[in-house]
Amino acid sequence: MVQVDALVTSIEECGPFMRVTLAAPTLHPGLTPGRFVLADLGGYLRTPLFPAFLDTFGSDTAAFDVLVLPGHPLAILQPDDNVSLIGPLGHGFNPPTTAQRLLLVASSAHLGTLLPLTTQRPENSKSPGLSIALLLSAPTAADLYPVQLLPPTLEVHVVTADGSGGHRGSTLDIFPDLAHWADCICIAEDPAIYPRMAELVREVHVAPGRGFAQALVTPPMACGVGACQGCAVPVAHGTRLACTDGPVFDLLELR
Amino acid sequence: MMSQVPAAGVDSIDLAPNHKAGLTIANPVMPAAGCFGLGTEYSQLVEVEMLGAVLVGPITARSRRGAEPPRTLSFPGGALLHTGLANRGATAIVRRYARAWDRSPVPVIVHVAGTTPDETASCCERLSAVDSVAGIELGLPDGLAHSPEPTDFLDDATAIIRAARATARQPLIVRLPLNWAGVLCESAVDAGADALTVAAPPRGSMWHEPSGGFVTGRLYGSFVLPLALRALCRVAELVRVPIIGCGGIHNTKDALAFLRADAVAIQVGGAIWRDPTCLARIARSLSSVVPPR
Repeated sequence: MVQVDALVTSIEECGPFMRVTLAAPTLHPGLTPGRFVLADLGGYLRTPLFPAFLDTFGSDTAAFDVLVLPGHPLAILQPDDNVSLIGPLGHGFNPPTTAQRLLLVASSAHLGTLLPLTTQRPENSKSPGLSIALLLSAPTAADLYPVQLLPPTLEVHVVTADGSGGHRGSTLDIFPDLAHWADCICIAEDPAIYPRMAELVREVHVAPGRGFAQALVTPPMACGVGACQGCAVPVAHGTRLACTDGPVFDLLELR
Repeated sequence: MMSQVPAAGVDSIDLAPNHKAGLTIANPVMPAAGCFGLGTEYSQLVEVEMLGAVLVGPITARSRRGAEPPRTLSFPGGALLHTGLANRGATAIVRRYARAWDRSPVPVIVHVAGTTPDETASCCERLSAVDSVAGIELGLPDGLAHSPEPTDFLDDATAIIRAARATARQPLIVRLPLNWAGVLCESAVDAGADALTVAAPPRGSMWHEPSGGFVTGRLYGSFVLPLALRALCRVAELVRVPIIGCGGIHNTKDALAFLRADAVAIQVGGAIWRDPTCLARIARSLSSVVPPR
């Protein structure tokens, strides 16, 4: 964990998002999918940023990209601006190396957190034949991350609330079939639907093991290192801290 | 204009001159309780050796699960935190952290959340056996701040302070509630406080839309500084024990304001979260200057 000044090297439109590239050589090596940095973007508390693309320019240049909406404070920065970052922080997604069928479930707003998993094999993967499916949801088609930018090998299922793109309805409509197919699920969705997703996982899998379904939870985090006790997440037997125990938790342990 | 006289770092500061062990620090800067964890969390980000002391906790005798989420809400210029004193309890914490405290390059002061006289005594008794704990800072329960009558508050608070004094081997620092600092300071000293911290973060409430309810907790931000400074000036008129200033300190200028108001040391709270390096930066600045009185 380090506190460094990262350099904004580019800001580009990417569908409804802004793709911001940050060069932070000493921080970069520990960033894995679901881990995060806390950025000083002018507010009283730092803002968590999740890498959407790692090794943007190759592993030697040590940059990573973040996807944010246009109103995000990161999006108003300019190339050559500096941003103070603390990280890498937390525990990220950790699909088992034996996974053969990985399901990613994301709302469009949270997709950036899962994007590295669409292009990277789980570390030390023993599954050369790994299949990855993405269940992507958004209010309308205009809010969707450009599907054509996703890896061609990725199986993409789109859901929009108004039916303007893909299936009309909610993530939960399609989730059971895909969950039945998967042997590991990584989720970055609105936590309000997590309890129902947990029920559905239990319905379609007799005995899902620990880590079968991993879900991102990001309450406001003040310190990021477990010092302030302010980012508690309710779990089966009490509370855990999003910054140090998470922000990725076992879906079936969340309350 | 600030005088350029070497101060802290050359002349050490005794936070407990009337205690047989004393509590000497080499720099007036320390983190505030509740913002720095149990001493190890910031070890990779803060130059602890630059500080006067580290303040860890709060802890209680028994473990506490803490408040249900949400615990943190931000607003322009500040944040509200309500943790409900989440901690593993004194025995478990000592078992896990005493060795790290022993290795600390600066004195470790443990913040005990005074809940009841009995639990406070139990917690202080446990800490008395730990050589690496150089001092105890006692916080007073928030509920006291809502006592209907000042006399109720004084009686309850004094009982907790006496319980801590009776069992704590180390110097005892009492952290005063902001709104009661002037009322309580003399009683706190009479009950055995070696030093006072002025003041605990004030409490406030915010509406939390997703849960449809109010969240009440401690407030952090620059806006606390003038409130705490006023309280400290009042306390400094009333007592003659060392006073540690705390509240809204974000930079050297803020810290100097408290030192000018007769604080001998200062605590940095929520500013650590945004910039952990501010602790060492303020400490370095204060090690080369003293404010004019």
